[in-house]
Amino acid sequence: MGTFYTTLKYTAVTIWSMFVIAPFLWALSTSFKDFNSVTSGATYIPWVDFEPTLEGWRVLLRSPAQGGVNIVEPYLNSIFVTCLASFISILLGTLAAYALSRYTFKAGFIKNDDITFFFISQRIMPPVVLAIPFFIMLGKLGLLDTLLGLVMVYVVLLMPIAVWIMVDFFNKVPVEIDETALIDGCNPIQAFFKVVLPNSIPGMVVAGLFCMIFGWTDFFFAFILTFTEVQLLPVAIVSLNSSITPWWSLSAAALVSVAPLIVVAFIVERYLSKGNLSGALK
Amino acid sequence: MAQIKLQNIAHSYNPNSVDSKYALKPFDMTWVDGGRYAILGPSGCGKSTMLNIMSGIVKPSEGRLLFDGVDVTDETTSDRNIAQVFQFPVIYGTMTVHDNLAFPLVCRGYDKSFIESKVNEVAEALSLEGLLSQSARKLTADQKQLISLGRGLVRDNVAAILMDEPLTVIDPDLKFRLRRKLKEINQKYQSTLIYVTHDQNEAMTFAENIIVMDDGEIVQVGSPAELFDRPRTTFVGYFIGAPAMNLFECDVVDSNSIKFGSEKISTETDLKSVNGENIKLGIRAEYVQLMKSSAKNTVQAKVESVDDWGNHKLISANFEGNIIKVKVKREVEVPAENVYLRFPTNNCCIYENEILVP
Repeated sequence: MGTFYTTLKYTAVTIWSMFVIAPFLWALSTSFKDFNSVTSGATYIPWVDFEPTLEGWRVLLRSPAQGGVNIVEPYLNSIFVTCLASFISILLGTLAAYALSRYTFKAGFIKNDDITFFFISQRIMPPVVLAIPFFIMLGKLGLLDTLLGLVMVYVVLLMPIAVWIMVDFFNKVPVEIDETALIDGCNPIQAFFKVVLPNSIPGMVVAGLFCMIFGWTDFFFAFILTFTEVQLLPVAIVSLNSSITPWWSLSAAALVSVAPLIVVAFIVERYLSKGNLSGALK
Repeated sequence: MAQIKLQNIAHSYNPNSVDSKYALKPFDMTWVDGGRYAILGPSGCGKSTMLNIMSGIVKPSEGRLLFDGVDVTDETTSDRNIAQVFQFPVIYGTMTVHDNLAFPLVCRGYDKSFIESKVNEVAEALSLEGLLSQSARKLTADQKQLISLGRGLVRDNVAAILMDEPLTVIDPDLKFRLRRKLKEINQKYQSTLIYVTHDQNEAMTFAENIIVMDDGEIVQVGSPAELFDRPRTTFVGYFIGAPAMNLFECDVVDSNSIKFGSEKISTETDLKSVNGENIKLGIRAEYVQLMKSSAKNTVQAKVESVDDWGNHKLISANFEGNIIKVKVKREVEVPAENVYLRFPTNNCCIYENEILVP
């Protein structure tokens, strides 16, 4: 029974891994191919089926004047916008979530749960509904085609995620811990920063991860709200496409854009498996 | 250390709603400095609300709270210098055991050497010395609860230490030792201890004074012996003691006797002023005496069952439809059929409308 179950488990995991890894391997090998190796039938093994070339990668670093497409700047733009928007979202989202979890708000029939739902409802709305209002608002503020404008829009998009995750997190933190801090001599602000916040880091890490994923992969708003001055990575990758699809540089760019998320996922996975996320208080 | 006075305190959790119900009905109460109290009552009777009002977590909807005569009703929790321990361990998971214990002193800005000596003293008292440098998160539930307790004990000048069923998660043997420890601490530092529990044995062995609460009201305040011998209401008689007090409907005959079924029972209680309906006779199962033959104040009952409770037996006997419970030593031989049960006059409590006739 034991070995059979183990075998079954490993087989399932192996098959699943192949499904996950295959596209990455395919993109990786494609990024080293030239025009002929891609267009004249499938080729698999480097140096046997095709002669590897670095051309696909070089294009990404070459300036447009030299016939390349520069993705370094969009890459840095994306990092800047994603990180700053995520940071602001977590900061504001955590404070909002703490208030929603610990204090009772009431305005007519609107109560805490309704306010929380109002935040989440921003994500339920189809993004296209927001496109025109955002465009007009940023236009009036003179922030179209700027990084600051994008950061503002992304905070609007990411903060609901942070609020949602953190409200849930704080609701699971017993209120006695706040009360104990007050009894031990903290005022409410100290209680939050000295006791509640250090215990909330795991929740903030998870919320931060989600914010970064959603921010990093957004194409829609990055495409609509920028033109020539600033460009974010997803838009830059799509604009690599031309009359002859450059599969090799597209593959290279795709791999480069996924890399940071993989790194983040690995770090957080370590954090998760150390048991730091669950049982922080119990 | 302070005398704590609750003046006409009452609390309702939603005072503005139409069906506003008091979680705590208006009452006065004074906690003597250095006293050791237990608050006893069923779940939801307002015990925790009373503690939370004293510590300032809950602001009472009515009344005033005085520490040594100073009105602290509007003072914040942190300004009141009170310690409170909750039912479930509350630890600061990101700190070490040492920092957990030191936290209440650090927050109040004591100097470092004083903090060190106090932390070590408390750690020693609770046998936590070996764990001081460990992360508090990794400890077992009872160790964590010791830390919660320790944080309550580390300041020895607190107005009172409030404990809300603090030993629930602790195993019985350690529970016993900790109760002893708390008594010692109470004697050593003369700090007022107020201890909420729903376990009457815990309350009886721990406290000098027990406050029995029911449905948001203080029903009786007294020593364990008073509560046992002279319960002020039928609720207290029912709630305190195992088994619950025997309670039977009866009628007043004259100024010192009642009619219980067909028998006349005398009591030391003066019944002159009693004329209402709903009269009850209350007597502890421990005080009912098993007799060989008929005598004064005795009823003849039929044995229904005898339960073995280990060190004693519990007899259930039927007298004209009333089940009388009698607690006797294990060695006592119980007749199979009929028993004569005597009600000593000084142990017969008479209740008029559920309240003890003095």
